Amino acid sequence: MWVVRPAQQEDLSDIVELASVLSARVSSTVPKDKGKLAEKIDYSKRSLAGDQDVKGTERMLFVLVNTATGKVQGTAGIDARAGNGQPFYNYRQDALIHASHELKVSRRVEVLYPSHALTDRTLLCSLMIAPELRGTDAFELLSRSRLLFVARQRAMFANSMVVEVQGVQTESGSVPFWDSLGRHFFNMDFATADSYSGMLSKTFIAELMPPNPIYVDLLSEAAQAALGQPHDLARKTFELLEREGFQSGAYVDIFDGGPVLEARTDMLKTIVSSLRKTVRSEEDVDGDSYLAGAGEGLHFRCGLVTLDEGLDETVKMTRANQKLLACAQGDELLVAPL
Amino acid sequence: MLVIRPIQDSDLEDLYVMAQGAGKGLTSLPANRELLAKKIRRATESFNQRSAPEAGMYLFALEDTVLKKCVGISGIEARVGLEEVFYNYRLSTTVNASRELGVHVRTPTLNLNNDMTDTTEICSLLLSDTHRKGGNGLLLSRSRFMYLDDFGRHFSEKVFAEMRGVSDANGQSPLWDALGRRFFDMEFSEADYLSGVGNKSFIAELMPKFPIYLPLLPADARAVIGCVHDNTAPALRMLQAEGFNFNGQVDIFDGGPVVEAFIHNVRTVRESLNRHVLISRKSVDLDVPSEERVMVSNRSFRDFRVTTLPMHCINPDTVSVPAEVAEALQVTSGDVVRLAPLKDGGHSPIQSMASRSA
Repeated sequence: MWVVRPAQQEDLSDIVELASVLSARVSSTVPKDKGKLAEKIDYSKRSLAGDQDVKGTERMLFVLVNTATGKVQGTAGIDARAGNGQPFYNYRQDALIHASHELKVSRRVEVLYPSHALTDRTLLCSLMIAPELRGTDAFELLSRSRLLFVARQRAMFANSMVVEVQGVQTESGSVPFWDSLGRHFFNMDFATADSYSGMLSKTFIAELMPPNPIYVDLLSEAAQAALGQPHDLARKTFELLEREGFQSGAYVDIFDGGPVLEARTDMLKTIVSSLRKTVRSEEDVDGDSYLAGAGEGLHFRCGLVTLDEGLDETVKMTRANQKLLACAQGDELLVAPL
Repeated sequence: MLVIRPIQDSDLEDLYVMAQGAGKGLTSLPANRELLAKKIRRATESFNQRSAPEAGMYLFALEDTVLKKCVGISGIEARVGLEEVFYNYRLSTTVNASRELGVHVRTPTLNLNNDMTDTTEICSLLLSDTHRKGGNGLLLSRSRFMYLDDFGRHFSEKVFAEMRGVSDANGQSPLWDALGRRFFDMEFSEADYLSGVGNKSFIAELMPKFPIYLPLLPADARAVIGCVHDNTAPALRMLQAEGFNFNGQVDIFDGGPVVEAFIHNVRTVRESLNRHVLISRKSVDLDVPSEERVMVSNRSFRDFRVTTLPMHCINPDTVSVPAEVAEALQVTSGDVVRLAPLKDGGHSPIQSMASRSA
């Protein structure tokens, strides 16, 4: 069975291994460097423990664990406030009409405006999963478990959420959008800039980008085609997020041109459909599979479990599953349909 | 004899023929009788001071007094950008630097601006093929500097010229194709024509307003920014010899450079001096090489006349002017005329004359 729980320092080597297995670019919010990763896990633990020093800029990292082997097979993160106290950069896709009455012409000109508008929204990030699990129930569990966490500790999060989905990258690893735009200002390839982005901060790199709007027409054809499109390997994520209620179109990533999705937190399917139930132990449970989240902060656990509805807002659950979710009879559970 | 004088209504036909011969390069003089007639009217009003000084537009004709024909013209626009907005791109540099990343990248950038507004422009130089010799082009162009200096209060201290940018034999401009065309679905030649007939600011308003980072443009477009058309290279050299320099502004359509100079620094102005006219009855052989001739201006705002004389006509206090030349210049003995060397380079007798008289 699969369970999602907060990342621990013991997960470090599993996460690094996972990152190296993924041949495609790993989301830059998961550092590849062990030291940085250890810091990130520590920060996550402090955030979940309610440390006052990180209040307002909580950043959580969860892991997907195979309970049979104990091995970490995926990661998923939440930044309570996008930008973490710094400006959060995106390009806003906009249009200008260049028109003249005298010359009887009118032309729509697509423009990318640098924007900080998404700063301080809640950001879903650091999604990484073993390739063989992409598109499976475990994948859905990993991604949606974050929303159950948000539903459980709603006050920690903003009223709207954003997700940056990885943009188009060719087989050879080049990123057309970067090559047509960012590269000119850095004189370095995407991989190098991306590793700096992981080591320093994305904001740090973004601040070196030109501050003025960019005319889409002046970008290469490949870059224009990539604008707002997810990486092939991120398409499943993209579709899952769309089903969840996220919308794309208004913003794109400033580095790879990938889509930035937005949603009202309280309108997301998982959050809207989640119900608070009380756990009741049962030897044998015959029912449907649900996404179930238990516990708060460091004790948060989320899994796909078979539940059966009982009376008085209760659900029946086996003791084995209770153990996996670290809960017991009488505990509150947040349940959402798969 | 070849004489510079204000343009007249009767020059229309000659002008039309010249404009037709000039082809597409000469934006400000389209081969259109109605527009040319309008330009002549505007120039006439300017010379007669019937228009506001800032609206002045002065066109000078080069008349062949034997053929009684206008064989060339040149112009001055007193102040650009007042009636309609005058646009250029300024070629500037954007630096992206980070010590931590070891990054220091310079990005050439085009910024749309109206910096040339209220500045005097020299323009509309056109010389008939039959007269492209013996310093006629120099006379057409440089006679303007004497006018600009003598009547400085009508003009700005700084004077500029827009040089024609690069386009190929079919009239395709690499910069237009990479930039203007993407915002404005039109051939360069058409945009250029519309500019000439007074629609330039309409088109400019449809051009991109935000800075253009040059690395986003194709190499052939980048290569022509600030460069002149082969046919314009001699004109550029002539202005450079006068002290004009590229000022970082380029044309928003074809990327041709803007060159500018302060009028008091222009070589023709610096090397000129005034002399009293002494009508000479001796006949003078006027047909001497251009480097041995000086321009002679009658210093009249309304009836401006310039022609050339051999340098040896210059005396310590006077200049000997043959009667027929005096007639063409509309001067008599005792009038003050302004002299300036026609050709640059070499030791100018005028300079030695000036130092002797100083």
